Amino acid sequence: MSLLKAEDITVSQGDTPILHPVSLHLEPGEPLVILGETGSGKSLLAQAIMGTLPRDLAARGRVALGDRLLDAARPDGFRPLWGRQIAVLPQEPWLSLDPLMQAERQVTETHRLVRGLGTTEARVQAAADFDHLGLTGAGHRYPHELSGGMAQRAAIAAARAGGARIVIADEPTKGLDAARRDEVADLLLAELARGGGLLVITHDLALARRVGGRMIVLREGRVVETGPTKTVMDAPTQTYTRDLIAADPDNWAARDRQTAGAPVLTATGLAADRGGAQLFSDLSFDLAEGRILGVTGPSGCGKSTLGDVVLGLVPPSAGRVKRSEGLAPTAFQKLYQDPVAAFPRHRTLKGTLEDVARRHGQTQDRIDALMHRLGLAPVLLLRKPDAVSGGELQRLALLRLLLVRPKFIFADEPTSRLDPITQKHVIDLLCETAATEGCAIMLISHDPALVARTADQMLSLDPAAPNLDVTPTRVAGALQ
Amino acid sequence: MNTLITRGIQALMVAVLIGAATFAMMRALPGDAAYRIAAGRYGYDNVDTAAADAVREELGLGGPALPAFLTWLGDLLRLDFGTSLVTGQPVIEEIGHQLGASMALAGVAVLLSLILGPPLGILAGLRPGGVLDRVLLVVSTGLKAVPQFLMALILILILSVQFRLLPAAGHGEARHFILPSLALALGLAAVNARIARDAMARIGAMPFYSFAQWKGLSPRQTLLRHGLRNVSVPLLTYLGLQFVTLVEGVVVVEAVFGWPGIGHALVHAIFSRDVPMVQGTALCLGLSFVLVNAIIDLVTQRIDPRRAA
Repeated sequence: MSLLKAEDITVSQGDTPILHPVSLHLEPGEPLVILGETGSGKSLLAQAIMGTLPRDLAARGRVALGDRLLDAARPDGFRPLWGRQIAVLPQEPWLSLDPLMQAERQVTETHRLVRGLGTTEARVQAAADFDHLGLTGAGHRYPHELSGGMAQRAAIAAARAGGARIVIADEPTKGLDAARRDEVADLLLAELARGGGLLVITHDLALARRVGGRMIVLREGRVVETGPTKTVMDAPTQTYTRDLIAADPDNWAARDRQTAGAPVLTATGLAADRGGAQLFSDLSFDLAEGRILGVTGPSGCGKSTLGDVVLGLVPPSAGRVKRSEGLAPTAFQKLYQDPVAAFPRHRTLKGTLEDVARRHGQTQDRIDALMHRLGLAPVLLLRKPDAVSGGELQRLALLRLLLVRPKFIFADEPTSRLDPITQKHVIDLLCETAATEGCAIMLISHDPALVARTADQMLSLDPAAPNLDVTPTRVAGALQ
Repeated sequence: MNTLITRGIQALMVAVLIGAATFAMMRALPGDAAYRIAAGRYGYDNVDTAAADAVREELGLGGPALPAFLTWLGDLLRLDFGTSLVTGQPVIEEIGHQLGASMALAGVAVLLSLILGPPLGILAGLRPGGVLDRVLLVVSTGLKAVPQFLMALILILILSVQFRLLPAAGHGEARHFILPSLALALGLAAVNARIARDAMARIGAMPFYSFAQWKGLSPRQTLLRHGLRNVSVPLLTYLGLQFVTLVEGVVVVEAVFGWPGIGHALVHAIFSRDVPMVQGTALCLGLSFVLVNAIIDLVTQRIDPRRAA
């Protein structure tokens, strides 16, 4: 018997349908993956099943949970199920824990208040949960003292403490690196092995592949394809699914190696530390026009710090960065991870870009030419940053950099918040920029596959593999 | 620890600045100080040139300003606040006497404002845009817009004159507290309520607040366990800043209700050019601002460990 059965779930805003009828069922021990880009309606589907839609959206459809039958149009009916029947894993674990409460107490309270254990029992059970998840001794820390992975595990413990058998995980690996991503997937599957149900909503193909089970591919509120995850991913029948899978960095073709132009910078013996702990030491490399240096490593290993050292924003604790002579002070630029945070919120993009153009003596023609080259519609300029998509905004951020005529761009996880198809597009444009504008680029990513297929030189800051080799042969090695 | 050192340096700077400012301002006031002091001592009807000259002679008022200021500063370092020019009593004794009355009034007013403001603000913040939220916005903006002396007069008119429920002035019994503290509390509560409302609306929209409910906690449990603690941090911080409004209000309200507190004393000391009293009183108020904020810093650091870092 199905753990959960949802029939003809739709979501609409006023009279506008956002999600067209979707039906799904969750079986014990068999995960279900809902795959789609941002805006595909995958999160709305999950929210409609849980009764957590924002107030201005209305759902319709029937949800059967065990012997209970619920109406998706009445979200209040779902409330008693939260924590007891359905556990929801949040998107950003750090933001999902109360910042002013010790981590373990947030699990204890669920055992006590939701499952109804006694005070001592609840405490013992929470400590056992933490031990089980490899968080022994971290119970007294506050969320800001936990790493992203630890916070994710603490959030899983808190969500599951109420005794729910069905787990709904909405983008559980957002912003996590590859190692952490696999760890989360394994954790979810371990829970599943106890006979529960698992619904994973994601745009991350690697996560989908690891979770397995069955899959529903959504696009613009409609089901594109369904079937066993392995079948769908190995032999997609729909064009959209094929595009989506082709956009996975694992499936990218390696970029043609570029010949180096004039040198841009030379770094010798760089070292940096944070809070007294050394991040990296004795890094030496040089970078020339048209070349891309890829930097990889797990979160917190100092990738961003290295970029800031090269830009001159953070002083190195040893070594030096020598810029080639004759470069303008503004020739070193940074492309930020979150494009939304990199634009003034209340101004039109046109105003922002024109300011930069005027400051650096560029003409409107140059903006137009770049808009065309980056595949951006001129109408976008009249909008404010929150009215364009993340991929478009990141391309506009790149355009803004190019107005300054940079010789070096530090791209700090420029696509980690973008969907696979958009990610490929932005990375392709970045590579093209290196060639056409004669820029050196330092590309940081937590995704080794992406870097390996893009970079001319590669640098790994992984403390577990302290091989700081920067020769192109390493790239070839990473590909195998 | 760092907090305390910073606040200690701040206290020192406050002392020097307030001393210099009050000293300069008192010197800049028009009129002959000797006459005003004599009037303060003997009453307006008994002042003549002879009495004024005697005062001038006794206090050395004709001398240059800088040595007088430096003497005051030097005395201060030995914790000697000097003596009142009018009564001849040590300033510290006079202030100690009046400070108690003011602190009692201010304490009751803050307590009252905390009972009135934050609970309403939190209820409004739980449903932003709801009826309570909109009503509270109008009422609190209105109350905040009424100056304290006017508020005091309105309360006197309604509750003492019209309904004869409470005494219009006086000191000593519990019922004497009600009107002056209410006049102070309404203005404070109006702003408290807004701060609590904004904090609650912001926290209610945060992912962790939803997540607490998804774990299975009821709305009530979520508010008690995850809402209040988070709201209290901005509220406490604001309370420290509100101390300025409170001091300002105490001076005005004490004058209206004839409350024998430090505000009342400050006004009188200014009238009779009693410079040591003015300096002592202003210093006392300035330092208590630093002290209150230091205490609030320590408390919020205890609630919010991120602040201690």
